[in-house]
Amino acid sequence: MNQEPISGMLLMGIGGGGCRLAAMVQSTYGDGIRALGMDTDALSIRTASEGGLTCLLLGGSRLTGHGTGGDAIMGRLAVQDDLPNLTAHIQGVRSVVLVTCLGSGTGGGATPEVVKALHSQGIATLCFVTLPFAFEGENRRKAAERVLPMIEEHADSVVVLPLDDLFADTREPVLATALEAADRVLATAVTLLWRLVSTPGFIALDEERLHAMVVKGGNARFGFASAAGPDRALRAAEMLRECRTLRHGDALSKANALLFGILAGRDLRLAEIGDLMERMRACCKKECVVEMGTVLDPDFEGRVELVALAFESWTAASLVAPIPDVPAGHEPPVADSFPIRPGGRRSRSKGSKLSFGATGRGKFDQVEPTLHSGQDLDIPTFMRRGITLER
Amino acid sequence: MAIPPIAALEIGTSRTVLCVGESDDRGRVKITGVGTYPTTGVRKGQVFDLAQARVGVELAAKQAEKQADVSIWQVLLAASGGHIQAVANPGMVPIRSGDRVVTQEDVEEVTENAQTIQLDADRQVLHTINQSFTVDDQPGIVKPVGLRGKILTLNVMAVHGLRNHIENAISVAKSAQLEVTDVAFSGICAGLAVLTPEQRRRGVVLIDLGGGTTNYLAYGNGVVSALGCVAVGGDHITNDIALAFTIPLNRAEELKCAEGCALIEPESGTRRITLSADIGFEERVLSCKALHTVIHARMDETFRIVRSKLDEGGVLPHLGAGVILTGGGAYLRKATDLAQRIFGLPCGIGLPVNVSGLDNVPQAAALSTAAGLVLYGRMTYEDRGILSPLKNLFKGVFRR
Repeated sequence: MNQEPISGMLLMGIGGGGCRLAAMVQSTYGDGIRALGMDTDALSIRTASEGGLTCLLLGGSRLTGHGTGGDAIMGRLAVQDDLPNLTAHIQGVRSVVLVTCLGSGTGGGATPEVVKALHSQGIATLCFVTLPFAFEGENRRKAAERVLPMIEEHADSVVVLPLDDLFADTREPVLATALEAADRVLATAVTLLWRLVSTPGFIALDEERLHAMVVKGGNARFGFASAAGPDRALRAAEMLRECRTLRHGDALSKANALLFGILAGRDLRLAEIGDLMERMRACCKKECVVEMGTVLDPDFEGRVELVALAFESWTAASLVAPIPDVPAGHEPPVADSFPIRPGGRRSRSKGSKLSFGATGRGKFDQVEPTLHSGQDLDIPTFMRRGITLER
Repeated sequence: MAIPPIAALEIGTSRTVLCVGESDDRGRVKITGVGTYPTTGVRKGQVFDLAQARVGVELAAKQAEKQADVSIWQVLLAASGGHIQAVANPGMVPIRSGDRVVTQEDVEEVTENAQTIQLDADRQVLHTINQSFTVDDQPGIVKPVGLRGKILTLNVMAVHGLRNHIENAISVAKSAQLEVTDVAFSGICAGLAVLTPEQRRRGVVLIDLGGGTTNYLAYGNGVVSALGCVAVGGDHITNDIALAFTIPLNRAEELKCAEGCALIEPESGTRRITLSADIGFEERVLSCKALHTVIHARMDETFRIVRSKLDEGGVLPHLGAGVILTGGGAYLRKATDLAQRIFGLPCGIGLPVNVSGLDNVPQAAALSTAAGLVLYGRMTYEDRGILSPLKNLFKGVFRR
């Protein structure tokens, strides 16, 4: 089993797509990553296990390993059945990086429940969720969009990646290779994130810093770029800026915080780091907090890979300062009044995800609901429509 | 005909309004006194706390009495809430005369026939509205007497509500020492105050954006073609804002009034709004775009629900005079622009133009229902017009 007992970080893949991505990250990273895959489909579990991923079959007694057939309700019920089994896998975990593909039964049904359970344990969650391709149809898109606010409600940071954007970034014309390349981009980026935290480099980014960034992160945008050759740094920086998942630099310009990782060979020059940082800072706001880390790997001689996580709703003074010292005016009172304690119960921190009461009906909680076309109109419309609010 | 002053009470979700009106020299109704007070104890147009709601009624009545220089002990009451429904009830009679000509007796018989409405015991009919006659297969006839045919049909729209909810509102008035002489649907009242005969003839929909409910009333060819109530109002917007930004309801209400907008404007993208600190509330900075997104979603949905209701009744293609917004919610910035987009029709704010005396009142559209209820009182007093209240016991009730 490839578990690293010391690590407080866990990589978790949910559903067929999530397990595939988690397995890919594990194989790219090698031994030492603490990872877990969860799915309702025994076949997918078997494939992921063969790659060395620790796996948990969900809803075995209910679905007998045959999957949900795209039914998110079955996904939710399956994970509810097996949530107690999850406890053993999250012992000592402080942060979970979760990868899942929305639009499907397990990804869509189980993920919100898992995130909620992790939240209740006081575990910080950084979720990478992919949205289905446009050609997969309106139903899958809507299913994914319905689930997203439920994940956002309890997750600390959410990176939403429309597969169309990832696909476009790979620049692969053939479907099969493009799909694989899109997966690879995401897997490589998550691996790099892991390496930044766990591998000593020229400039280290420790687990604590990532944890603080994630906890205060809110919705984030993610970008990845890779270049080789003499002016690799400049070209990679340019590619990152033009990256579609970063909205062609728009996400960088709006970010309040940027987590920026560089993976290169031992030939990486100081001047190159300087150039990269200069380029990145030029794209960001003056007050944007940039956390940078490097990983040096002999296999990457002549190359450089960049990963960026841009947090738009991150707030200052949260990175190192203890929670009670957060100055007034930067944080909503709700976040101030529930300081985040490692391993303890905590409230949602500031982000574009919003806290709701038990029902989300607020002052209409004890009132007969106003129903229209099967919807409870007393629940805020933006919530029912799955609209994510910018902070 | 000289008519004594008429008092009209609206126990709204956000505020209680009591209007006193009198006929002026030219026979128009002039509002001589207005009393308003914030309501508590009412949600979505329905009373849930009699004692709390009574306070608003008492204070609004005192204010109106003082302003109009009258003593009030009888009132007309406006009813609203999601329980109010409209149902079409056609009546049909064979034309009995030998020459097959429609007579006044046929009209009376078909009217009686159509106004006999079978409802559950817990429901109370508020109005029966005659729409139009059909002689054989020729619809849309207003005066059928003298026409030839075999069958005379009358379409009647019955407006009804839950007896308990209506009686709860009456109990509030009673507890404030006010006798209720008649009850009318708020949407009809607002229509009386706001819509001109020309708009009714051309076809129009009036949307009354209240605190707890949204009433709509559509006219086509001069007759009421659709009406109803959606139990969603300004209170929902406030609640949405409070939940979205985890702020208290009173701060959400302030925010809505000061910065609310029904459309997401491009310039709101980068703007930040500062909510000042208060006792137990730390200063907050919010995104203007997020605020507008929350409001837009709710308003968009509300208008679309009304649109779908009109669409079901086949009313939409006959609204030549467009959409008129009234009620306090009509003053939400860009609400008319949003309605224009959703209905694809011109839209404006409707003021109570059919009464005088409110010219200098700010945001007079918020008084449309109460002002219209005064008009309704005068109309039923004179006992003419298309609205036939079940209780028509209105008498002179004021003394100077």
